[in-house]
Amino acid sequence: MTLFLQAVADGLQMGLLYALVAVGLAIIWGLMEMINFAHGEFMMLGMFGAWGLSAWLGWDPLITMVPLAVVMYGAGVLVYRVLMQKVQRGEMFTQIFATVGLFFFIQNGVVALFTSDYRFINASLLTRLSGANLTVGGVRIGVPLLVGGLIALALFLILYLLIDRTDFGLALQATAEDRDAAMLVGIRPQRMYAVAWGLGTALVAIAGVILANFFSVYPQAGLSFTVLAYAIVALGGFGSILGTLMAALLVGVVQSVTAAYLPPAFKDAFVFASYILIGLFRPQGLFGRF
Amino acid sequence: MAPLLQVERSTKRFGGLIANRDVSLAIEPGEIVGLIGPNGAGKTTLFNCISGALHPDEGRIVLDGADITHARPERVCRLGIARTWQVVRSFGRMTVLENVICGAFRRTSRVAAARARALELLAFTGLAGKEHVVAAALTLADKKRLEITRALATSPRLLLLDEAMSGLTPFETTAAVELVRRIHGELRLAICVVEHVMEVVMPLSHRVVVLDHGEKLTEGPPAEVARDERVITAYLGDRYRGRA
Amino acid sequence: MLGALVALLYPIPFERSGQIYYETVGFLVLLNAMLGIGWNIIGGWAGQFDFGPSIFFAIGAYTAALLTINLGWNAWLALLGAMVVSAAICAAVTYPVTKLRGHYFAIATVAMWMIAQPIGATWPLINGSQGLFIPVATGGGFVHGVLTMEFPGRGKGLGFYYLSLALFTITLLAARAIERSKWGFYFRAVRDDQDGAEAIGIDSRLYKVIARCLMAVVFAAGGTLYGFWALAVFPDQVLEVNWNILPMMAAVVGGLGRLWGPVLGAVVLIPISQLMATTLGTGPLAGRGIDLIIYGAIIMVIAGWRPNGLLSLPWSEWAARLRGHASASGKA
Repeated sequence: MTLFLQAVADGLQMGLLYALVAVGLAIIWGLMEMINFAHGEFMMLGMFGAWGLSAWLGWDPLITMVPLAVVMYGAGVLVYRVLMQKVQRGEMFTQIFATVGLFFFIQNGVVALFTSDYRFINASLLTRLSGANLTVGGVRIGVPLLVGGLIALALFLILYLLIDRTDFGLALQATAEDRDAAMLVGIRPQRMYAVAWGLGTALVAIAGVILANFFSVYPQAGLSFTVLAYAIVALGGFGSILGTLMAALLVGVVQSVTAAYLPPAFKDAFVFASYILIGLFRPQGLFGRF
Repeated sequence: MAPLLQVERSTKRFGGLIANRDVSLAIEPGEIVGLIGPNGAGKTTLFNCISGALHPDEGRIVLDGADITHARPERVCRLGIARTWQVVRSFGRMTVLENVICGAFRRTSRVAAARARALELLAFTGLAGKEHVVAAALTLADKKRLEITRALATSPRLLLLDEAMSGLTPFETTAAVELVRRIHGELRLAICVVEHVMEVVMPLSHRVVVLDHGEKLTEGPPAEVARDERVITAYLGDRYRGRA
Repeated sequence: MLGALVALLYPIPFERSGQIYYETVGFLVLLNAMLGIGWNIIGGWAGQFDFGPSIFFAIGAYTAALLTINLGWNAWLALLGAMVVSAAICAAVTYPVTKLRGHYFAIATVAMWMIAQPIGATWPLINGSQGLFIPVATGGGFVHGVLTMEFPGRGKGLGFYYLSLALFTITLLAARAIERSKWGFYFRAVRDDQDGAEAIGIDSRLYKVIARCLMAVVFAAGGTLYGFWALAVFPDQVLEVNWNILPMMAAVVGGLGRLWGPVLGAVVLIPISQLMATTLGTGPLAGRGIDLIIYGAIIMVIAGWRPNGLLSLPWSEWAARLRGHASASGKA
């Protein structure tokens, strides 16, 4: 029983981080129904950014979050304006395909520059806390991961407030509901889309920075997160931000429990299988609005 | 004579909205029935339930003895119902001829036979000469004509026309009405027409059914229905009652 | 016609000069072109984007290997067996997923591929990540080689080139026949307007399954051929992302939905990767996925600027202009 509870606790913590990874996708998807195969690659870039700045400038990863977020926001906007804007008008396949190209380009660009070797961040604030544990009811909760999760949660909540309570967020939602109507009230959809891409990219890059504290950094890290993020957004109901959080926590737990009882290679398999099942039986997701 | 199509107390809800409530109607073989009512009355929902695109929450739909209440659209088509759509649909990347051939495959599996039938039908509906135009490039009137041709290719016994005249100029409308008459006369199908254009639906139909707010208001010969006070109120509001 | 002649005679000069390498390039081009044609059926005609077709490549390779190794089947029978098994598995896994449309279907195919990877790495029947080895026949001439799909020694490049040419030709002809048949029409109808297709009696779920199974069959054949060529089947080889992406890229770059699209695409793309491999050799940038960077860039450019592929470029216009120039300068 303790094993199970431990797995659940670990899963919840990872779930918080997954929520941050997935929420950017939820925004982009909710707004313009675009699939981004390269979503995880931006996360990977965040990881490499954190590692790089840590290795060469000695900056703590937590500090790197700010400059990296800004840079990746810009990258997201750039990708939108140069590529995605063009394919948005065309067929759905072309949109998906364009992001596949982006995926190959970014991932192998990093491979070319840094090789596929695994890298680690050595001295970070969070890892220095490692070894500090909270024990609640027989379940061990590692402080570093907990702190990372809490940071993720905080960002998530800030984002939620941004979308739900500000004028800007309202404009974003309006564009998602009815692009033409939004135009009629003076909202520029292109600008909304660009911002969505910027935000989505920045958020997932920050998630990468946090994850880099605990996991090895390598170019291929992205893809499974991309698919995981889609599974989460689908489970949570496309377009629902809180739904994404719930789904992410659920996914974290499912993954963790699976890993506790089955060979580690299968930990994602259950999640993907759930994606397929949800798509079949409850396409609006567990918490969706449609 | 048993009706071709029998809709028995069909009810369809979308969340809190009751789009069709307890709607019953019958269509006899070979008759033209007009389905009218103000916007939002539930006409297209009823069509969708009949054609299998949606399924009623309550009630039954029977086609010539076969229960099609929960049948998928392709089965409904196989049993003999074809439809057109409120917003015209076509296989945009295929040519006019290819579009109709797809419909013709309902009755034959051989390409040559399907092609021949398609060409015949295109001549019948007046699209001869445009066989090789890509569907997406047609005018609206021609797209609607194509949709009808393609539906006819499946050899239906009942044709559902959902606002086939909307968006047409008066000249195009006259041509479309003439086409519907010709279809009815020569192919002897039953046709159910959803229409807003009164000058079209009244002269064309043998019988008219009126829906309002999801319920059937009344039905009967066009002349009677046009004079019915409830119908006038439904369309024009209380102020016009009594001015018939 | 000219193309057919070129294709038939292509390996001869290399055979004479002993540069087997180019025969292998030809082999890869034909293999990928064939896979591309298969992918085109589901992706181009039926409009359902399958991002994980390599699972059928793997199923084909493994089935054929198992049949040959464990049951001693002849290579061609094993090929047929692989195709049948692949179609059966495809039908079983695809039918439930046909309810999904567009993006959701695409992600589901990727999810399937990702589920397949740990299975491939750990399943005892196929020896997990240690792979299966196909026993090499010793001796035997060219004809024997064709019968068993094995060409030990020098004949390998030539042998596999012609084998792949044969399979490619069969696939091309079959695809052409399907394109013009009822199935071809129905696939494209489902792509253009699924609801409209259902309303004229097309069972969209059935035809999505059929289209994907046709692709699965082609991929299984390709996987079998590859397995015999490599003489070994490893999960990370046959489930590699390249087998997912290259056929699709070939189809899109060449012209999605066009019969010859994947062929043109393969002819353009494969040599790029080989060129990268040879020019970078063992230098500092070797093995760093430079070819994939180029592929990625090509994909983005095509998606952004020429989504209908190279076949959609105005070749006839250009040809007419060239002829115009030629006659103008002829007159001058």
